[in-house]
Amino acid sequence: MRSFFAFFKKELLESARSGKLMILGVLFIAFGIMNPAIAKLTPWMLEIMAEELAESGMSITSVTVDALTSWTQFFKNIPMALIAFVLIYGGIFTREYESGTLLLMLTKGLARYKVLLAKALLLLSLWSLGYFICFGITYAYNAYFWDNSVAKSLIPAVLNWWLFGLWVICLAVLFSTLAKGSSIVLLGTGAGALGAYLLSLLPKLKPYSPASLMESAGLLTGAESADAYVKALIVTVLLCFTFIAVSIPIFNKKEI
Amino acid sequence: MAILEIKNLTKSFGDKAVLTGLSLSVPEHSVFGFIGRNGAGKTTTMKAALGLVSPDGGEIYVAGEKVCRGQTGTNRHIGYLPDVPEFYPFMTAREYLTLCGESLGMSKAEIKQRSEELLSLVGLAGEKHRVRGYSRGMKQRLGIAQALLSRPKLLICDEPTSALDPIGRKEILDILLAAREQTTVLFSTHILSDAERICTDAAFLEGGKIALQGSISELKSIHRTQEFTLELAGGEHMPALLSKFPRAKAVGTEALSFCGGADEIHALLAFIAEKKIAFTKIERAEPTLEALFMEVAAK
Repeated sequence: MRSFFAFFKKELLESARSGKLMILGVLFIAFGIMNPAIAKLTPWMLEIMAEELAESGMSITSVTVDALTSWTQFFKNIPMALIAFVLIYGGIFTREYESGTLLLMLTKGLARYKVLLAKALLLLSLWSLGYFICFGITYAYNAYFWDNSVAKSLIPAVLNWWLFGLWVICLAVLFSTLAKGSSIVLLGTGAGALGAYLLSLLPKLKPYSPASLMESAGLLTGAESADAYVKALIVTVLLCFTFIAVSIPIFNKKEI
Repeated sequence: MAILEIKNLTKSFGDKAVLTGLSLSVPEHSVFGFIGRNGAGKTTTMKAALGLVSPDGGEIYVAGEKVCRGQTGTNRHIGYLPDVPEFYPFMTAREYLTLCGESLGMSKAEIKQRSEELLSLVGLAGEKHRVRGYSRGMKQRLGIAQALLSRPKLLICDEPTSALDPIGRKEILDILLAAREQTTVLFSTHILSDAERICTDAAFLEGGKIALQGSISELKSIHRTQEFTLELAGGEHMPALLSKFPRAKAVGTEALSFCGGADEIHALLAFIAEKKIAFTKIERAEPTLEALFMEVAAK
């Protein structure tokens, strides 16, 4: 256990000293502030554009914004945060293969699965931390400006999306044990997420696809209940464990 | 007892056979020179001993335990210094050694004491900067410190001196020599003077196999042909000597070098005595690993 935490500490130190932690912090805080800000600014922006729009034949009567507008923004923006997260951390394994830094650690007898789990734990906890900071900021602003209770099933929707993020990260970990360079990791992860999305377009498979967890509109407006996502939740959690479980033997046999 | 035993190791990369039945035995408490030209397969052999490369055939034992590919337990006996060691650039030497120590499961007090000991051994005790700014020689020295941290039974160094300037090389060799008190040292090199300076044993890798192996004195005694230098008092007898002994080579106008067995040497001495040739010096050259290596490589 000590060697696991030693390596985890090293990962954390690397994130901090390389400035990645700060970038992530800025990113998630900015997104958190942006969601209510965009909602708040929408009527004002429309007012500015009203004249132009009137010329082209559109007339704007009155726009009402509430917490729901802000939450819609949240779910529109969070995919960008996830993409940025994967881009920033996509090379967490492959950079070590390329530089050869892992060689010395492994030849010291540090168990490979501990390296893998330490890196995976760092990714999952940083994603969770960033995600919930972003959520917390949006929630606080929304509560201040409007009323969060208009968003029905908000917590299930937020947890669904968080879990989808975890799933993508586990997928990236799996590809990191298969690939030698970070471009393959990014491509593979992107292809995996796209595949899940394409599957979710098929009505029969939709309830099982992790990508369906991204859909929040139904939950927020109250058109759908959280129960509709139970199958997708179970599949996603099982896949997360499978990805990690499969990456361990692959990583054990990897030529480094 | 042999700390490292390699039996009949074979490895090809694509259709290029690098190792073709290499067998090697490294005795305990030796400084073992693993000598071969560039691309002979030295690094591949060492990586196979660490379980980093899977051989096509053959077996490797470290301290009596079999090495497996990938996650191998035998690595706890080994300290390894790769040819170009790479450290986490955002850490200081002390932080790096602490990470290594914790990864190895050493206690806090032990890590602290051992780090100080090793950092002063390799001359980095006063270094407060992060590894990012280290020179090659400093990285090699930190590499030796991290390799020795756990008091391994075997220290494997892959060409530790090749990329360094003469001063850096001497420092590394001195450190390796000092490390011998604690462990067995196996190091690969193609710089024969380095091997000659500190090795007790050596093996020549040629054509994917070990061509010669033994203690340095044994190896030198295998060297059958001996080299002599003869310096004459004047140049007038040079043509006669050169025509009589076609294997002799002129070195300048008044000296010649001569390779041969005992019979030929005696014939030369008899010729000098018969013709009353004046000379200033006859010297037997000390057999060198270099001459031996050339002989092995020429076969």
